[in-house]
Amino acid sequence: MQRRRLRGGLLGVLFFGACAVAFAFLALPVIAIFTQVAPGRLVRLLGNPIVTDALVVSFKTTLAAQVLILVFGTPAAYLIASRRFPGRTVLVTLVELPLVLPPAVAGLGLLVTFGRFGLLGSTLEALGLSVSFTQTAVVLAIAFVASPLYIRTAIAAFQAVDPDLVAASRTLGAGSTRTFFRVVLPLALNGLAAGEALALARSLGEFGATIMFAGSLQGITQTLPLAIYQAFAINFDVALAMGALLVAISAVLLFSLRLILSWQPSRRTSPSLFAPLR
Amino acid sequence: MKLGTLALVGVVAAFAISGAAARTNTTLTVYAAASLTDAFPKIAPGAKFSFAGSNALATQIRKGAPADVFASANMTLPKGLNKDGFCSKPVVFTRNTLVVIVPKSNPANIRNVYDLRKPGVKIVIAASGVPVGTYTLQVLKNMNLTAPVLANVVSKETDVREVLAKIALGEGDAGFVYSTDAKTVPGKVKTIKIPAWAQPKVQYGICTVTASTNKAAAAAFIKKVLSKKGQKIMRSYGFLPRVKPKPKKR
Repeated sequence: MQRRRLRGGLLGVLFFGACAVAFAFLALPVIAIFTQVAPGRLVRLLGNPIVTDALVVSFKTTLAAQVLILVFGTPAAYLIASRRFPGRTVLVTLVELPLVLPPAVAGLGLLVTFGRFGLLGSTLEALGLSVSFTQTAVVLAIAFVASPLYIRTAIAAFQAVDPDLVAASRTLGAGSTRTFFRVVLPLALNGLAAGEALALARSLGEFGATIMFAGSLQGITQTLPLAIYQAFAINFDVALAMGALLVAISAVLLFSLRLILSWQPSRRTSPSLFAPLR
Repeated sequence: MKLGTLALVGVVAAFAISGAAARTNTTLTVYAAASLTDAFPKIAPGAKFSFAGSNALATQIRKGAPADVFASANMTLPKGLNKDGFCSKPVVFTRNTLVVIVPKSNPANIRNVYDLRKPGVKIVIAASGVPVGTYTLQVLKNMNLTAPVLANVVSKETDVREVLAKIALGEGDAGFVYSTDAKTVPGKVKTIKIPAWAQPKVQYGICTVTASTNKAAAAAFIKKVLSKKGQKIMRSYGFLPRVKPKPKKR
């Protein structure tokens, strides 16, 4: 039997060895964060004002960024998914670019766009709106790096919606808006939620663009990753405590993502006789 | 621990692939304060440098970073490392002063240090713990400006060059840096002097890292920095002689 030969042979040893190295390599640094400081002390360190302030800043800015990502990202993703137009491929590439850009490049880009002497910054400044060093800057940095994750997943989710169902809805007299909200959106909801969970996790971890564009001030622009960076050189144990906190939050997010993806809603939107057979 | 062994296997494999299996560390590695970014490579062009906030470097050395020499923008950090057995007894190798910098266009119209109290001025400083951040707090205390200026601080950076960048870009209205840093971007910032009576005592300390595998080269580098030639290079970047010249008259 094929499987028995593999397990017995040298190839099998190499295979499982490689797997074990991969798992250990990925797991060990995460586990190590929890081994340096006793759990009780770790929890007590979380009461440090640096940590609580950073948590509040992270929570507020991440939440605001998610609202922006959903409100502007969903229509953008739907447009790309549902229409064929010239330049579409270029547009998709542009939308996905922040995903692979080094965060430092994102920071530079945001500075020369929204900075005081940037492309839009000078106009904003003239209107009395100053972005740099404010929480708005943090929100923009987060939205810039995290939204492509959502949009990308949302495009795939919209594309996976059965076009027959959309056509059926239209022939039954529903307008395009009604079809979107009653047919497309419910069917794509799983994928959208998955994309949003990914964007949320990325948002919480944003570091490079934020520190370059928004600066770092406790209680204003200092998010958890920025606070970790600063505490690293001043109070290592506090940095570890915040690290542990972020590991826990991210683990919960990823776990809920798994749950979302495994939960499949009914494919039928209504018990219509005319629903296409699958 | 089995997991640890497995991770070790991976690390060894990574070394083999990257071709850096044995740490045959022949080039000197110097961990130096960010303010030394321009001057130090001129003193030892062949060495490898890691420039950052001195406090970040000190933490890295405590965690086993492969440094041979540690050059800090204060004496506190190398003295602390020495006390805990991480480096040799530090010596002072240069001194510096603090200045206030504003962008060339001076958007907040800052003329002197006291103007920093004006509401709405965006001030960028280094975090406390970073040597220049600690010195900044001393200046503010000496001038009795602590509360009003700190109220205007919009960002606390992790090293002096980040403060410099934020002001040179024009994002911040004013920042506290060493006079030597201000000289590196002459066309972009204007310098405002801090009175001598308010200046903190800025002494730079240098030491050989205990775990260094390259102690002879480390000692030679330190000697070079302290030599006449080395000191001349330091002065050409605006650093002060390591010993304060005694006033001629009584």
